[in-house]
Amino acid sequence: MYGYAGKILHLDMSSRKSAVILTEHYRSWGGGHGMGSALFWDFCKDKTITDGRSPANVVCIMTSPLCGTIVPSAGGRCEVVGVGVGLHPVSWFTRSNFGGRFSTTLKYAGWDGIVVTGKADHPLWIDIRNDEVSFRDARSLWGKDTWTTQQEIWREVGAEQGTKKAWREIRKHFDEGQTADKPAVLAIGPAGESLSCHGCLIHDAGNGAGQGGFGAVWGAKNLKAISVTGTGLFSVADPAALLQARFATKEKYATHTENPDLRAWSFLAKPFRPVLFSAPPTKNRRPQACQGCITGCRARYGVGYGNESSCQETSWYLSHVRRVFKTPAEITEVNLKAADIVQKYGFNSYPVMAGLHWLEHLHEEGILGDGRAIPSSLPWEELGTLDFAEKFIHALATRTDIGADLADGWLQAALKWGREEDLRTGAMHFPYWGSPEHGYDPRAELEWGYGTIVGDRDLNSHCFNQIFWDVNIHFAFGMPMRLDAREMVETVAAKLSPYIKDRPEALDFGNANMYSEAVAQLVRWQLHYCRFWKQSALFCDLRWPNLYNSNTPDFSGATASADAGEQVFWNAVTGDRLSFEQGIELGRRIWNLDNAIWVLQGRHRDMVRFAPYIYENRFTKGEILPFYFWPCRDKDGTWRYADVMGRAIDFDKFEEWKTIFYRLEGWDTKTGWPLRNTLEKMELDHVADALEAVGKLGGKPHE
Amino acid sequence: MDEARESPTGEITRRRFLMGAGGFALVAAVGGAFILPGKMLVMADAEGFLLVDLKKCQGCGSCKMACALAHWGVASYTLSRVQIQQDSFQNWPNDVFMAVCRQCKDAPCVQVCPVSANRPDPKNGNVRIIDTHRCIGCRQCIEACPYTPKRLQWDPMSRKAQKCDLCRDTPYLGEKGGPGGTQACVKVCPVGAFKFSREMPDQKVEDSYQVNLRGPAWAKLGMSVE
Repeated sequence: MYGYAGKILHLDMSSRKSAVILTEHYRSWGGGHGMGSALFWDFCKDKTITDGRSPANVVCIMTSPLCGTIVPSAGGRCEVVGVGVGLHPVSWFTRSNFGGRFSTTLKYAGWDGIVVTGKADHPLWIDIRNDEVSFRDARSLWGKDTWTTQQEIWREVGAEQGTKKAWREIRKHFDEGQTADKPAVLAIGPAGESLSCHGCLIHDAGNGAGQGGFGAVWGAKNLKAISVTGTGLFSVADPAALLQARFATKEKYATHTENPDLRAWSFLAKPFRPVLFSAPPTKNRRPQACQGCITGCRARYGVGYGNESSCQETSWYLSHVRRVFKTPAEITEVNLKAADIVQKYGFNSYPVMAGLHWLEHLHEEGILGDGRAIPSSLPWEELGTLDFAEKFIHALATRTDIGADLADGWLQAALKWGREEDLRTGAMHFPYWGSPEHGYDPRAELEWGYGTIVGDRDLNSHCFNQIFWDVNIHFAFGMPMRLDAREMVETVAAKLSPYIKDRPEALDFGNANMYSEAVAQLVRWQLHYCRFWKQSALFCDLRWPNLYNSNTPDFSGATASADAGEQVFWNAVTGDRLSFEQGIELGRRIWNLDNAIWVLQGRHRDMVRFAPYIYENRFTKGEILPFYFWPCRDKDGTWRYADVMGRAIDFDKFEEWKTIFYRLEGWDTKTGWPLRNTLEKMELDHVADALEAVGKLGGKPHE
Repeated sequence: MDEARESPTGEITRRRFLMGAGGFALVAAVGGAFILPGKMLVMADAEGFLLVDLKKCQGCGSCKMACALAHWGVASYTLSRVQIQQDSFQNWPNDVFMAVCRQCKDAPCVQVCPVSANRPDPKNGNVRIIDTHRCIGCRQCIEACPYTPKRLQWDPMSRKAQKCDLCRDTPYLGEKGGPGGTQACVKVCPVGAFKFSREMPDQKVEDSYQVNLRGPAWAKLGMSVE
């Protein structure tokens, strides 16, 4: 099997035994999420669990055939699946994803993925050196932060700190493997150890599997870290084709090193600049990238802080810092040091971004604080300082102060504190599944919100969100648009095979089109595309799909192209003859398996609803910008970028939209449960049988 | 290193044979190298060198993966002839080190090879290569490399050494390699942290292969060109 290591590692924490699963049994799922879902289906004996901290939970850390290769911005991603922690009303079977060099090293060690079952009786870390797997005592590591943990494991494995180091034998003899690299370690910190829903998995300084609460899942299993050293190799079907496609991507689609377009449109085309929400702290820096990435999105600096942090973790505290500090240098320093704090605690800062505004509101209203209805002795008057950030994250990571209530989920805490009204007024910006708004409000950016509520967690897929950034940043700074609205939607729609190819109306997020079949097809395209190409083949969310690209003469992106499309890379590595559309069809199969798991967990269409404020309040204040331009059609059919703020989602119309969506998916429109016919067409007969056995197959009489 | 000793297999090595047969003067031409009395091997200078910018590398490892792919058709770190070492917890510029073969003048790895498998290739700019058919896997060349980490690699499957040949022997590259052609690492690097040069860097200076490849475009992106 070209592109695969050939084996999946099963770690049973209860018995401290490892076993080999042959990858070929799961080959039809591609890799990553698809394989992970299929493994979860087979290994999780109780799929009704709704809290990932259950010992019955199974967590899979999966690579893809593309990991460990030069497929641009795909070689270093890694997918994590399992039942999550902290969502509401149910913590669904969910996913997260991180980059770096863990998946690459795992492949070179001879493993396509890791399945973790059971629960150890005391903390352990796993030492993988090629085929050799050891369960090692982690009691001395418990309580240590993620950075310290990794460096102590490096030492334990025999890797010196720093660079310019000698080759290292991974066992006793050079014929058993030598490496010039550090072990790749994935670890939890105090947040995961305390089983807080904020617990995430951290690798190196700043690669994190944030969403899903997988740090708490590991903590519940007493799994502190997995260290991998890999010195092997795997075969690639057509190495020359792979190299040439990579060269073509660099020359045609990615940024030009010597002549970068600073105003480039599309994420793949953008120049080497870290994705930061404050200014970089110094020009003494390098771009820093995951393995195989063609354009790094992070940086390492000469100042001693902020290394490898980007995007979310550099924005969770920023608005508060800006109110305390005035100079750009001070703001950057405190903001990036706050990012370091969450990295070290193994803390998913994503809920805090919206959540901290809510807590501040409660404090200002006299509800939260010392001696108040919601007691908290945190120094709220110092919000915005580094000291507050440290104390606040410490509390939430260690279940102290308000962290005791927030550890099980933000909505859970709101309900405990009697703050249901905040979900009605919108004071609490948690629109779906107890998960915070991402900056892309569902009332404006439809594919993000709709895709989230029919799924399992905040979508965090930037397929179409690139349009928001390119258009709105150019508008904000008064720069001319690179593509007008009609050019944009036609260029993008040309890529949207098989559901909406050349149907630009799918991208019309205007009021008249927001509940349409075309938008339902757009949401389906994104979900199915992502399930395979992004989450199973593991193309990076921040580089793919490349639907438009200002580096090409006609603005046509790399996606599905004959020279550098996703399928070109997949086939070069695996030897398959997979078409782009067949990849999306495989994504549909994976998506259906996930939905079947959600149904077993208790999913019903009546649960698929936004928080009340999304229906009852109009969207008037953006998290990022005071406007939200998106392609829309006028009544006469003319395309223009229009501001889609100022509206709510109509409850009844959205229910009708759900019916359209379920029908297109081949799911029962009354329940959202899949139909047997739909599953059998995808060779998921056994899944249909399992659902039927518990009375949850669509199309059957149901309560 | 004792050139006259027998190879690990106990066979009389090619070099020992040559020394024994020639003995007193120029005795043999061994692929662009000549053995002088006193057991000194004289070799023509290489005509191609890889230069690197440690402050520019983004640590993506694409060069490593492309190298193993172009030479062997496989995905591997350890079979890469260029090694990028990273420590995520160090600060720029000490967080990355790019270890490339220097194609040394009077290369120690060539000097010690007991069977002349490691030799300059006169047809390809005297780039120092290892003839895998001739290599006996004694590892003397690896040990002789004076740099850390060693710039030659051990292939545990074939039990032979390998080294950078500037992509002379790259059946999977899809285009002509070598000093007059493409080097996979140079071509794949997204940031341009490699440069192929015809000019031999100062052999007495350890960091002479480390150059500044950050031009005006780098400054335009807000990064140091110092």
